[in-house]
Amino acid sequence: MTVLPILCGILLYVMMTPSSEDIEISGALIYFELNTPIQTLPITESQVNSWFVIISVFFLCLYLTHGISATDPTRRQHILEMAVEKCEGLVLDNMGEYFKGFAPFIAAVMVLSAFSSLLTLVGLYPPTSDFNVVAGWALLVFILITYYKFKCGPVHYLKSFGDPVPFLAPLNVISEVATPVSMAFRHYGNVLSGSVISVLVATGLQGLTHVLLGRLPGFLGEFPFLQIGIPAVLSVYFDIFSGCLQAFIFAMLTMLYVATGFPEEDYKAKLKKKAAKA
Amino acid sequence: MQSSDVISVNIWQILISLLNLLILFLVLKKFLFQPVKNVLAQRQKIIDDHFENAQKAESDAKSAKKTYEEKLAAAQSEASEIIKTANKKAERRSDKIVSNAKAKADDIIRQAENDAKLEKQKAEAEIKHEITEVSTMLTEKLLEREIQSADHREFINTFIEKIGEDND
Repeated sequence: MTVLPILCGILLYVMMTPSSEDIEISGALIYFELNTPIQTLPITESQVNSWFVIISVFFLCLYLTHGISATDPTRRQHILEMAVEKCEGLVLDNMGEYFKGFAPFIAAVMVLSAFSSLLTLVGLYPPTSDFNVVAGWALLVFILITYYKFKCGPVHYLKSFGDPVPFLAPLNVISEVATPVSMAFRHYGNVLSGSVISVLVATGLQGLTHVLLGRLPGFLGEFPFLQIGIPAVLSVYFDIFSGCLQAFIFAMLTMLYVATGFPEEDYKAKLKKKAAKA
Repeated sequence: MQSSDVISVNIWQILISLLNLLILFLVLKKFLFQPVKNVLAQRQKIIDDHFENAQKAESDAKSAKKTYEEKLAAAQSEASEIIKTANKKAERRSDKIVSNAKAKADDIIRQAENDAKLEKQKAEAEIKHEITEVSTMLTEKLLEREIQSADHREFINTFIEKIGEDND
């Protein structure tokens, strides 16, 4: 059940992809468009692949948690418990006791980002190389940051922009807005540039083979020898390493921004005051 | 089939992606973290229970040991008490037996002495009688006639008694 959505994605991709001989760097395929206000909503590969990832992860969760028991854990359960405890430990270390409930969210960010990027391994379009997808995540992170900044009331929130000196307020506003934008563009740019470089290198290698070995007779002259192996090394870096790293970075930045944006001491002081009044 | 531009911004797509992340968060929370945490909590509870039971058993064992030791000490003191009284009793009894034996022995000795005295007196009387008889006979023979034995007997008796007194 876990791999079924991925297989569906591949099937859809194979069925819908226009055959072309040219090298083309483009965005996600648009399967169909919905007429919605403001902008039309194209349902693209990135949306559909995201949903496939979510469904896969859902079934993976069901598989991992199926039959777990307190008394005689299997190896699968050990791995699962280790992962969960690692995630909670990470959140606890980076965000503190107050944000303990953030562990599933951080796990969701990591899993969604990493699995989306890793879709390239099966030849699918990675949703993370669509700006809209990562922008949505960054927007959610921005909402969270603002929500926790608002915990001490709107006055405190507005005051925080005049820190350390009031005339820096415009810069503070810019940095506030820059946070989600930079997060989105960092992630999106990394993944997209990886694919672009991979495509460019593969094409370049094809040309190089043609130049070097084109004189060989018949089939041998046509076969792109240099395309064997070398793009795989790049793929290991861009698809696996970079994908996982970006997922980790996105999760880390989420934790840090939310935790540092939250004025914990002021909030506690406020709570204490409230308790004293009541 | 057309495809979108490399950089395209679409507000609906952004919203969908935001919701996707939220949905995955809820999925992970409900289907991954909650079961695992439940299991971990259960295991913690089991471990705590075991620990508590072990501690309870240990304290129970300790108190049981204490009571047993107390009982043992009481039993020992009781035993020594019993032995002491038994010793005393035995001593008293042996004393009694010995004194009884002594008394009996004294009795026996006294009886024997009495018997011996009686025998002696008897023997003395017999000897006296015989001597009297013999002396009477001798005197008869000497005087060649029968003397009035009654007269002479008295005389001889006094004579023999004198001898006896001298001997005594």
